[in-house]
Amino acid sequence: MPSQHLEIRRSSASLRGGDTGIRQLRTVSKYIDTTTCIGCKACEVACQEWNDLKTQSTHQTGTYQTMPELAADYWNLIRFDEREYEGGVTWLMRKDQCMHCADPGCLAACPAPGAIVQYSNGIVDVNPDQCIGCGLCATGCPFDVPKFHEATGKMAKCTLCVDRVEVSLEPACIKACPTGCLQFGTKEDMRALGEHRVEQLKQNGFANAALYDPPGVRGTGVITVLAHGDHPEWYGLPRDPHVPWTVRFSKSFLRPLGFIAIFGTIAGVFGHFMRHGPKKPPDDTPATKPPPAARG
Amino acid sequence: MSDLSTRLPVGQVQEATDVAVVKARHAENVIVGEEIVRHRLLSRVIHWCVAVSFIGCLFTGLAIWTPVFGWMAYLFGGLAVCRWLHAWLGIFFFASSVAMFLHWLGQMRMDKGDWAWIGPRLFLYMKAETDDSQVGKYNGGQKIFFFTSALSALALFLTGVVLWFPLSFDQTLREISWVLHDVTFILFTASIIGHIYLGTASEPGTFGAMTRGVVSKKWARFHHPRWYREVTGEEKRRF
Repeated sequence: MPSQHLEIRRSSASLRGGDTGIRQLRTVSKYIDTTTCIGCKACEVACQEWNDLKTQSTHQTGTYQTMPELAADYWNLIRFDEREYEGGVTWLMRKDQCMHCADPGCLAACPAPGAIVQYSNGIVDVNPDQCIGCGLCATGCPFDVPKFHEATGKMAKCTLCVDRVEVSLEPACIKACPTGCLQFGTKEDMRALGEHRVEQLKQNGFANAALYDPPGVRGTGVITVLAHGDHPEWYGLPRDPHVPWTVRFSKSFLRPLGFIAIFGTIAGVFGHFMRHGPKKPPDDTPATKPPPAARG
Repeated sequence: MSDLSTRLPVGQVQEATDVAVVKARHAENVIVGEEIVRHRLLSRVIHWCVAVSFIGCLFTGLAIWTPVFGWMAYLFGGLAVCRWLHAWLGIFFFASSVAMFLHWLGQMRMDKGDWAWIGPRLFLYMKAETDDSQVGKYNGGQKIFFFTSALSALALFLTGVVLWFPLSFDQTLREISWVLHDVTFILFTASIIGHIYLGTASEPGTFGAMTRGVVSKKWARFHHPRWYREVTGEEKRRF
């Protein structure tokens, strides 16, 4: 359910959103510290409960992960992986959900006006009223987040609990976290918290600790502290996510080119008709037309 | 048959010709009065299946392609309907294109001079500066359009299936399909505009070949002289 209170900064298949720019909302962000996550899945449960998503049976995949993938009715998933590190094994748990990119690939790819919106506080949301379920948002997303819901024929994903945030509550997942590895606030505050935590980790021997806030999508509304920041793929995160160039190419290059080609051809045939007129047989057409040179 | 006009009073001539054309609807390349049956009923039905399904695909697709044509969606009941209908019309378009390809393939053998149509010959033709005396039932441009249409239908179908079920295919394949679907539709639409123009305003008398199926003898002699000679028996039939 899209927010009725927040102004829309950007809207899919539209020149711009409807925001006036008068109200100055700060960009919000989740903060995820993978180093203090204990994998309790309280955030997963809170997400299902708050968003009234169907209770699901977990899938045993041989790890501590509840589901193999995010789903249209499972928006929050603690991904689990284990890696060899300095002669031992390290457990990696990362909360996976929509990253709420500042430059959302889903919004760029979406062909339905207003089906994907970015509110003025940076939250990216799917508007099911307008969604046509084509799935192009999934092609545009570098994080493989939007999922198709078979029953409704619409795409669905994490809303960053926009219905809570707009009334000054923190998202359900943050509320439920028992260790404080999840925090919520303005993007600046969360970045400051993350940078502080990364410094701590570096002092504690994790030289490659880093804050994941990828510039390729102009930063995300979910920033993640990684102990092994040199290996984001260990956490199931792309190293340098971008909106696929093909999405930009189709929308910003092929589309204008298509307009020129189609309207150019229409103009061309009109021009041809004005210049040459209809090609009619002369009154007395011989069976074989003389060569052009002979026709004067 | 040419003596129909001498046997019948003026006014009944056209009517008699109509009856004869209807009787000849399953025949092709036959003379009926002052007209020649160019496309038999089956050919015309196949052509219009391709045309109608393509126009349907075009309008539903344009609405999805850009909000500038978003209003076209209302002709079909909204964008969500377009997303659904576009795919099914696409199946119809592809199926009728396959039928069209198989139906016409035998008549579309490229002759030596036909390849020149890819180059300047097309532009000379548009300026009416070509010597068409050896043009048979189809000229090189028509044959090339036939093959590019078939190829476009295939490309639109293959990429369309990927776009129809995006979540069943690999990311790279989805992206390639998106770009190829756009490129093919743009080129195909532009060539269809040319096709419609040449079949109507540009060359009067042509459209009838796809409605009643007939062209005038005069038209045949002017645009497809060798075909005319073949039909009249002046030359050995090659179609």
